[in-house]
Amino acid sequence: MASYDPSKLKVTKNIGLNSVAFCVARVPNSQRLFFGSSDFKVYELDLAAEKPEPKAFNGDGHQSYVTGLALAGNTLISGSYDGRLMWWNTETKEAQRTVEAHQLWIRGVRVSPDGKRLISVADDMLGKIWNAETGELQHTLVDHKAMTPHNFPSMLFAAAFSPNGEWVATGDKVGHIAIWEVATGKKIAEVEAPGLYTWDPRQRRHSIGGIRSLCFSPDSKLLAAGGIGHIGNIDHLDGPARVEVFEWQTGKRTQEINDKQVKGLVQQIAFDPEGKWLLGAGGDNGGFATFYNLENGQQIHSEKFPMHVHQFALNESSDTLYAVGHHRVAVGEFKAA
Amino acid sequence: MSRTGSFFCGSADHGVSRRGFLGAAALGAAGTFAADMTQLNVLKQEVLANELKKQQKHVILLWLAGGSSQFETWDPKPGRPTGGPFRAIQTSATGVQISELMPKMAQRMQETTSVIRSLNTRNADHGGGAVLMETGRRDDPGIDYPDIGAIVARELGRIDSQVPDYVSMYTSTEGRRKGTSGFLGARYAPMFLSESMIPENIRKLDSISVVDHQDRAALRDMLAKSFQQSRKNDTVNSHTQAYQRVRGLMASEKLFDIEQEPEAMRAKYGPSQFAEQCLIARRLIEAGTPFVKVARAWWDSHGQNFETHRELCADLDHSMSTLLDDLKDRGLLENTLVITLGEFGRTPQINASLGRDHFASAWSCSLSGMGIKPGVAYGKTDPDGHKVAEGEATAGDLFATIMTALGVDPKKEYMIGARPIPVTDFGSKAIQEVLA
Repeated sequence: MASYDPSKLKVTKNIGLNSVAFCVARVPNSQRLFFGSSDFKVYELDLAAEKPEPKAFNGDGHQSYVTGLALAGNTLISGSYDGRLMWWNTETKEAQRTVEAHQLWIRGVRVSPDGKRLISVADDMLGKIWNAETGELQHTLVDHKAMTPHNFPSMLFAAAFSPNGEWVATGDKVGHIAIWEVATGKKIAEVEAPGLYTWDPRQRRHSIGGIRSLCFSPDSKLLAAGGIGHIGNIDHLDGPARVEVFEWQTGKRTQEINDKQVKGLVQQIAFDPEGKWLLGAGGDNGGFATFYNLENGQQIHSEKFPMHVHQFALNESSDTLYAVGHHRVAVGEFKAA
Repeated sequence: MSRTGSFFCGSADHGVSRRGFLGAAALGAAGTFAADMTQLNVLKQEVLANELKKQQKHVILLWLAGGSSQFETWDPKPGRPTGGPFRAIQTSATGVQISELMPKMAQRMQETTSVIRSLNTRNADHGGGAVLMETGRRDDPGIDYPDIGAIVARELGRIDSQVPDYVSMYTSTEGRRKGTSGFLGARYAPMFLSESMIPENIRKLDSISVVDHQDRAALRDMLAKSFQQSRKNDTVNSHTQAYQRVRGLMASEKLFDIEQEPEAMRAKYGPSQFAEQCLIARRLIEAGTPFVKVARAWWDSHGQNFETHRELCADLDHSMSTLLDDLKDRGLLENTLVITLGEFGRTPQINASLGRDHFASAWSCSLSGMGIKPGVAYGKTDPDGHKVAEGEATAGDLFATIMTALGVDPKKEYMIGARPIPVTDFGSKAIQEVLA
């Protein structure tokens, strides 16, 4: 029997930060977190401590926002808007390796389920698969277009490995998703989610949406993409949280969730290990974490978070989420009684 | 000075060089410059030679509607808590760095552009800020002030011009403002393009044939000349000029048609609407229009400021640099002032939506081309961009700087009844450091 109950989600811990935390990695079976920050640094934060305090990693580190983190054993890999990937020893907090990985801003870093591979995605519109241990570049994934259909720079925001480790998906600003074979780097499928591209052709003539989050289902058959729906006022993220779910091998969309009760970007998605629900978190000026029924797309429960959530990590029993975001770290629990 | 074709009607088949056009027109119309179609009196009458000189000057205002971020354009603060994720890059001007989102403009700073980083305009409301920056003074319920386009049209426009004096393009709907000629009157009101890049309502009615239209004009001319011979006065002249002007405007449609441009030139500007409107602006300037405003909306980045600026700065950087190159290649930049300005800047604080809000206490604009000393970064903000640290400038000071660059006396006064109204607000001072 599952240890979780989505209807019970509550924020149980809330810690202020001096900066914006964009990404998080969690040490397994612990409350020890690492987060990447708007002050260009990587921090450790042990929530089990009596007075949890962020401890910065050593050295000069990155030269811009740290927007991606992945933990592979004792090695933490960070990606930044400076285009670099950095490998860190989590015990000494010293940098071990720096790789000039991308020409433009790295938007995300993900590690494969076995911890052996890493993917980085960036605004040079490339996905790159790396050996997580050696830093060797294994494949460069070329597919996403540099310009939007309206001739503005596109952005490659999201990536996710499938739980079986065979595939990796990448998603961009205009709602194009490519699915790649990890072993060969070959593209094997495409999915289109144009409802996540928020181009306003008349009122404000720009866009801020895009695919901000991707996640495969536990059986690797479904792929969920998150972002924001049609925006009434593009200045304020004033649009519904939006998630689309696909049987990616056929391209068939199985769910289209356009949640008008919750405004803002869905910055991260997670599937229920048992396949019943989907969890999306993000925000506008505020933050949210919302559960949706996978069968009918209806909202199960939504909880306000004290900050716009940029990323979260679930614990092993999928009943606690560790969220980072705008000047805060928050813990949400949804344990069954 | 290299010059390619510069044409009034926009067709390569009827090419007349701009200089030739202006020269011939100036000689032919020398007697008409002193005429003023408004009912205003001007205290300082300019001598004809100065008027002739002014007629070759132009302004293009790139209006960044909604308010662009100074941090992501002209005044980056990399590594500061307020600085955002983007780096500063060195420009071609020694010691001047701008945001990495503006790489093409960085290459052109030393030759073309100066920035003012110390605007403190104290109005962070869209409507009020726009009025302030477009008129150079605070709104006054008692006086309907003209905006910069109308003032430039009046000061630099030719009374016998057959092209529009003031063209304003604003195609997005958010924050759309038509502009106003205020007390200068309808003669200097903008030709306002909102729905289409080609003006509506200037075409001949379908119910009138071309021959009929020409015959009517010829008949009117003949009668007018006969009438004028026995009744010489400004009112009659003005009436005749108004008809000539209407015919000129009707013939100016091709100026707005970028299909008239060689494909290579259109490719340089690229496909964005803003870029195409910049190309139209150049075509209008080349044909003699004194003032063109190209509004690019909407920069009001309360949410996702960095994504917004990554998108919009790419458009601005490319369009502005291409426009400056084009003006320079045609020998027009020395007589054209390009202003890049919005109603205000953005806050140093980054809000929870990763946005920046309205901010008028310490922000930036740029001036390029005519009358400007290029490569200057005037003024300074504090390390986090909260306050002006050096060289505080008001909207009036910017106005005075613009007018001085154009050769218009900022203290020149219009008389509204018995009340003198200076072109720029009382107490305004031109920023000499950015003037050539």
